[in-house]
Amino acid sequence: MTAATAVRQPARSTEPGTTTVLSRAAGAEWVRLRTVRTTWWCLVAATVTIVGLGAIAAADDAEGTATAANPIVSTFAGEYGVLLGQFALLVLALLAVTSEYASGAIGPTLSWTPRRGVLLAARIAVPAIVVTVVGVALALTADVVALLIDPDLTLPVEDGAGSLARIAAVLAAGAVMAVGAGLLLRSTAGALATVFLLQLVLPFLFQSFGVQWLADLAEWLPGTGAVRLLLDEPMDMSLGHAAALVVGWAGLALAAGGWRLLRRDAG
Amino acid sequence: MIEVRGLTKTYGAVRAVDDLTFDVQPGKVTGFLGPNGAGKSTTMRMVLGLDRPTAGSALVGGRPFARLGEPLRAAGALLDAQAVHPGRSGRDHLRVAARSQGLPSRRVDEVIDQVGLGSAAKRRVKGYSLGMRQRLGIAGALLGDPAVLLFDEPMNGLDLDGVRWVRGLVRRLADEGRTVLLSSHLMSEMEQTADHLVIIGRGRLIADAPIAEVLRGRHAHAKVRVRTPALDDLAGALLRRGFRVHPTDGGELLVEGAPAETVGDVALEVGASVHRLAEEHSSLEEVYLDLTGDSVQYKVSAPDLVGARR
Ligand SMILES: Nc1ncnc2c1ncn2[C@@H]1O[C@H](COP(=O)(O)OP(=O)(O)OP(=O)(O)O)[C@@H](O)[C@H]1O
Ligand SMILES: [Mg+2]
Repeated sequence: MTAATAVRQPARSTEPGTTTVLSRAAGAEWVRLRTVRTTWWCLVAATVTIVGLGAIAAADDAEGTATAANPIVSTFAGEYGVLLGQFALLVLALLAVTSEYASGAIGPTLSWTPRRGVLLAARIAVPAIVVTVVGVALALTADVVALLIDPDLTLPVEDGAGSLARIAAVLAAGAVMAVGAGLLLRSTAGALATVFLLQLVLPFLFQSFGVQWLADLAEWLPGTGAVRLLLDEPMDMSLGHAAALVVGWAGLALAAGGWRLLRRDAG
Repeated sequence: MIEVRGLTKTYGAVRAVDDLTFDVQPGKVTGFLGPNGAGKSTTMRMVLGLDRPTAGSALVGGRPFARLGEPLRAAGALLDAQAVHPGRSGRDHLRVAARSQGLPSRRVDEVIDQVGLGSAAKRRVKGYSLGMRQRLGIAGALLGDPAVLLFDEPMNGLDLDGVRWVRGLVRRLADEGRTVLLSSHLMSEMEQTADHLVIIGRGRLIADAPIAEVLRGRHAHAKVRVRTPALDDLAGALLRRGFRVHPTDGGELLVEGAPAETVGDVALEVGASVHRLAEEHSSLEEVYLDLTGDSVQYKVSAPDLVGARR
């Protein structure tokens, strides 16, 4: 930029391909995620809850049921941990989206990645992958910690893999739902309330009243599917039904949030 | 180059931008003026594809901005200096931008130096002053070495040093052949910086012309300042010829509507000796007020003025 040229050449005509643009957008999302403290606090909270809760469950178990002759699989540790700890991870994914609307940073973001379909793909994929990978790793840690606490527990590879796969499904679908809700509602409070209600509060509330139609309604909520996938409750719901439930809600949230990002003003 | 064609944006019943058409040429600083709520920011947001036009279109370097894969190489913008995640450091903010364009992080350090953010770049934006945020925003705009720059009130909150720096920067960017669109409410600053003006009011185009033309146009009232011992004689003669004459505090006359030649000739006729004769152009502020007088939406009402004076 030293010598003054009369008229600058227009922007280079060689446009990068969609794959390149997408991988750069995903890279930017990744840097975004790890350069705010909120992310790390959420990870600390998730670690404490998942591993801590798993350890407590194992310690509780050490006093009773499992015996050397009749060992119990330790995956319940990670599953109980994720049941609660998932919320720290969902908050992480949700805040990644809504904090941009609170600060107005969505403006610069869209002026750096104006192709909104590309931004949507990156914005969904990066938090979902981070949440899933971290959550599965923490659940595995909880399972192993449980083994150390109670020597009467076992962890056969097959059971471990199955448990982690169900946990991965719950977390991936939950993260996509959280991001979708964030994109749709654009407000941290609104999106958080929505996700907590759907994933935690309503499923338990509806089932606790003992009113049949409320209990039936609960069968349609994503939180019910998540509990079924994690804890095998309610026992009369099939795994397929539960998976369809969490994936369906994730798809719904993604469609609605995606519509708002793709079709409406930046915010 | 920015091409705006029939650009329109309505929010419910409000026509924020109303059928705007203009070009912003490379190699010049184009000042974008208009009263509060005239639609300047909305226009810039539509140029960047942030807001969807109700009608019309805008092209940046011949293409819709919203389709670009490496947009920061085409256009850099500072629209709202506050629009940054408060918990991220300035440097990390720029690293995100660089990453999104496939630019090396060396470039981030270059622009941090260029805007004089220095070691503050490592601190979180939460603690930045408005001026530091403006500098960070400008750094982001420069990151991709773009051919087009849009600045929405970049001098807001800058200290004198900062204002002079922006003035020099904007000048240099235009001299390098870039397209620069700059909005500001600081008329004296515009007068010093802009080559061309686009003035809008209530979303409509009021003027699109070189600044020299605006300053000499229909709404500009050239005045002549004359000093003479025979003040009353000259004033009388000028009044008889239909010119408007105002005596000034310094014992001079300010003559409206007459070129300097005429004032000199009249002085000779009435035998008034002239000690000083100077043509004065109206300032951009005066012309602007005149041009936009009808389209100011948010006026201070008279009672407020009275209250303020008390
Ligand atoms: N998101 C929105 N929803 C509703 N009205 C809006 C929105 N954004 C802008 N407006 C309206 O559009 C008009 C133009 O606003 P804009 O911010 O573009 O003006 P401006 O020329 O930038 O003003 P200023 O000099 O105060 O920055 C205003 O009447 C404003 O109230
Ligand atoms: Mg504005």
